[in-house]
Amino acid sequence: MPAPQSDLLQGTLDLLILKALTLQQLHGMGVSRRIAQITGGAFDVKAGSLFPALHRMEQAGWLTSFWGESETNRRAKFYSLTKAGKKQLHTESERWERISLAMATALRTT
Amino acid sequence: MISRLRALWNNVFHRKQLDRDLDEELQAYVELVSAEKVQAGADPEEAHRDARREMGGEHQVIQHVRDVRAGVWLDRLVQDVQYGVRTLAKNPAFTLVAMATLAIGIGANTAMFSLLDQVVLRLLPVSHPERLVIVRETGNHYGNSYGANTISWPMFEDLRDNNQVFSGMFSRFPATVTIGHGDRVAQIPAELVSGSYFPILGVGAALGRTIAPEDDAVPDSRPVVVLSYSFWRSYFDGDRTVVGRTITLNSQAMTVIGVAQPGFDGVELGVPAKVFVPIMMKTEMTPHSDGLKDRRRRLSWVTAYGRLKPGVSLEQAQLSLQPLMHSILQMEVQQPEFTRSTTVADRQLFLRNRVELLPGSENGLREYMRKPLWLLVALTAAVLLLASANLANLLLARATAREREFAVRLAIGAGRARIVRQLLLESLLLAGAGAVLGLALAFLADRILLRIYLPADAEFVVSPIPDGRVLAFVMGVMLLTSLVFGLLPAVRSSRTEITLSLKDRSGALSAGGISLRRMLVGIQVALSLLLLVGAGLFVRTLRNLESLGPGFPTDHLLAFTIDPSLNGYSDEETKSFYERLNVNLQTMPGVTSVGFSSMPLLKGYAWQNAVLGKDFEGAPIEEQPVLSEVGPDYFATLGIPIVAGRAFTAQDVGPAQYAVINETFAREYFPGRNPIGQRFGLVDDMEPVSPDTEVIGVIPDRKYRDLRETPPPQAYFPYFEGTHFRFMNVYLRTQADPRQIEDELRERMRQFDPHVPVVGLETMNEQIGFSLRTERLVASLSAVFGGLATLIAVIGLYGVMAYAVMRRTREIGIRMALGALRSNVIVMVMREVFLLIGAGLAAGIALALALADLIRSQIYGLSARDPLTFIGSAIVLTVAAGLAGFIPALRASGVDPTTALRQE
Repeated sequence: MPAPQSDLLQGTLDLLILKALTLQQLHGMGVSRRIAQITGGAFDVKAGSLFPALHRMEQAGWLTSFWGESETNRRAKFYSLTKAGKKQLHTESERWERISLAMATALRTT
Repeated sequence: MISRLRALWNNVFHRKQLDRDLDEELQAYVELVSAEKVQAGADPEEAHRDARREMGGEHQVIQHVRDVRAGVWLDRLVQDVQYGVRTLAKNPAFTLVAMATLAIGIGANTAMFSLLDQVVLRLLPVSHPERLVIVRETGNHYGNSYGANTISWPMFEDLRDNNQVFSGMFSRFPATVTIGHGDRVAQIPAELVSGSYFPILGVGAALGRTIAPEDDAVPDSRPVVVLSYSFWRSYFDGDRTVVGRTITLNSQAMTVIGVAQPGFDGVELGVPAKVFVPIMMKTEMTPHSDGLKDRRRRLSWVTAYGRLKPGVSLEQAQLSLQPLMHSILQMEVQQPEFTRSTTVADRQLFLRNRVELLPGSENGLREYMRKPLWLLVALTAAVLLLASANLANLLLARATAREREFAVRLAIGAGRARIVRQLLLESLLLAGAGAVLGLALAFLADRILLRIYLPADAEFVVSPIPDGRVLAFVMGVMLLTSLVFGLLPAVRSSRTEITLSLKDRSGALSAGGISLRRMLVGIQVALSLLLLVGAGLFVRTLRNLESLGPGFPTDHLLAFTIDPSLNGYSDEETKSFYERLNVNLQTMPGVTSVGFSSMPLLKGYAWQNAVLGKDFEGAPIEEQPVLSEVGPDYFATLGIPIVAGRAFTAQDVGPAQYAVINETFAREYFPGRNPIGQRFGLVDDMEPVSPDTEVIGVIPDRKYRDLRETPPPQAYFPYFEGTHFRFMNVYLRTQADPRQIEDELRERMRQFDPHVPVVGLETMNEQIGFSLRTERLVASLSAVFGGLATLIAVIGLYGVMAYAVMRRTREIGIRMALGALRSNVIVMVMREVFLLIGAGLAAGIALALALADLIRSQIYGLSARDPLTFIGSAIVLTVAAGLAGFIPALRASGVDPTTALRQE
């Protein structure tokens, strides 16, 4: 099944989640905080968008999850990238770079 | 893909666990967020509250997550189904009526389809039946023929050895043989097959082996036989030691070499073969005709089959066989037996004959049943369409009643698509229930039909049990019907105006698509007129055929067939057998007269031959007279008078040759002359003949082949004058009910000769009844469907009018308050009723007139546009529907103005 052509916003969120998980596995809040960190606080992903996205991406096979212990010593669900997820990150990044380049060029043109 | 499937699996089967996990995940999130806040210095309790608030409603998050789960549509579907079932259960009267209507509609269609499929549509149970073709020659073959699809043995050999398009060819010939196994003597259908028959069909053996090419290489060399599986089970009780044993066929010892695979009964559907014998044994199996060694090419007797090579289409094969056929014809046209019996014009015509390829599963029964069965399927389809229209009507009425429910659902945010889906689902639930009931109904109907339709000893197997194809058909019909009756109401309902519907509207019912509903009733009236007209035409056809009869008295007439030649009796022995039998039967108590005939009456068979005389010579087959050889008392026994000259007597034996002809023969061949004393002869391709058969008597025109025919020219010859003696049709005129002496006759025949079986003993009326079975089937079923259709249409009309009157209660109240009389109100309502009926009738009549040509061949003795039938049907329908409309009219006239006006 080819990767679904996600619309821009959903694509952005997916890309950010994939990017957030490249270095380490994180639980839901960890993903949210990591995204805030790497985007310099520009994106504050709320639970209402975050969890549906995480579950959707897990079903798509990009993420895998396991139950681990959080920093507050509580059982929490951690997510990490799968091989397919890494591939998806790669293609999505390229696509995004193409788009942003095109946008930048378009906006610079007077 | 796999991860998706696993997710779907989990979502469906581990939902509880998933929900628990999600809950815990979210709790952890809230805790982590609040812990973060506490670390930043917030009060723990406040932090927790803030964290929860920031999440923005736990339930919404849960719902959003559930919405992205794979298979969420399944969840919704289950919800919708539950809701649909609840809604339907809340209104049991509606649900029951709808289900019953659908069950009848779908059931009738399924029953007919099941028959059509098994008799007409299904291919032979052999490997790749679609690659199998029958090879036939079109046009007049100028010679003797065993049927339309037969060719001569030498032509089969030429085609087999010289074609480029078949991977193989085989031929077959159906024969009746006498099997003698102990004292159980019986006549059974056999198939004489060429050695390539089983290999090319790809039919194997359940036991032992099948006939191989080497069994069929040299004439008369291999007396072997293969049994059909069903015959092995019924006649030999499935005895496995039968292989290798010797059985007697036509007094010839034959070795059983195997049993064919189950379900294979030869290539002719209507006459399942019991035994298969190499065609090289033809002489032994058909003692009196030896087509195999007859190198003349004028005797057509084998049916040739070919298996198309891969990649070759039927059309390509047909095209590429033409030059081969033409060269064969050019050779044949120069043979002396051809030139002797034909003119130059005949020869030119003959050279235009072509090869035609038919689908290999084609056969006589199919040909015969195709039109009637398609007709019945069309009738049932019309009934189902009508039932669907009625149901659409009911659903529209229900949708009006449910407007408020839809408005509420729309107001709280249900999409219009979801409402359409919900309603379609309810339709599908109804149709599904109807289909299940219909399937059961179809099974019962088919069982009853088969019992009526097939004779008790019928070998031809049609099963009422639905198979995969029938189930697929039911599924298709179910989906289609639910769309037909469900889509319109569903789409209408989704357009519900929220504000209008939610306002308090006591008393005033909305228009509820009343014009749409009127149109649906109009369609129902039109369709039921169509079905009534059909029923009228078919019932009258049957009555015509029954009352006209064959032209001679059929009561007290008993018939059977017998063939001592199949027991190895010589011509002399057979002749003596018949002469003694004649005397024996004449002395039987209760029998007044005995008639013998070589050809059976009213069974569709005919012996035709060209005749020549002083000033006429030859004729194409359609114009050739129908002939028979009869015993001395034949005409007297059948009650056919002699209008001129005399009948045969026992003294009419050689050297002079005599004939009795019918009036049509006299008119066509001896116009304006006294036929008595005229002479004619039968054209023979073996030797030149001179016209020296003298006409000694004339009989009136009587039907010969079947009840539908216009009597053809007929000529009869004295039976015992001949030199070859084969099967005989014996007719007995009895004093009392012939069925009373059937048992006695059987016993008498057993004593007369225990080795010769009596075949097809039945009264003439039974035989005629059987020959009209298709007409009876069509007439009775179309009458049932017509009645059913009228009933449904009348109920539909009643429903719409009752609703229309209810909607206008207030208006009627006002009218009456202003002084309208009860009769005024009745007239007002009835005007609408008759407008509806009139429109429906007009459409129905137009439709029936347009379709009349399609059924012309099924009609006998009246026109397919018979005005009496049309007018009669219209009157029946008008009266029935008018009565149904009168009830609401009467109710309207009883409206009490004060009550009606107070409703608001």
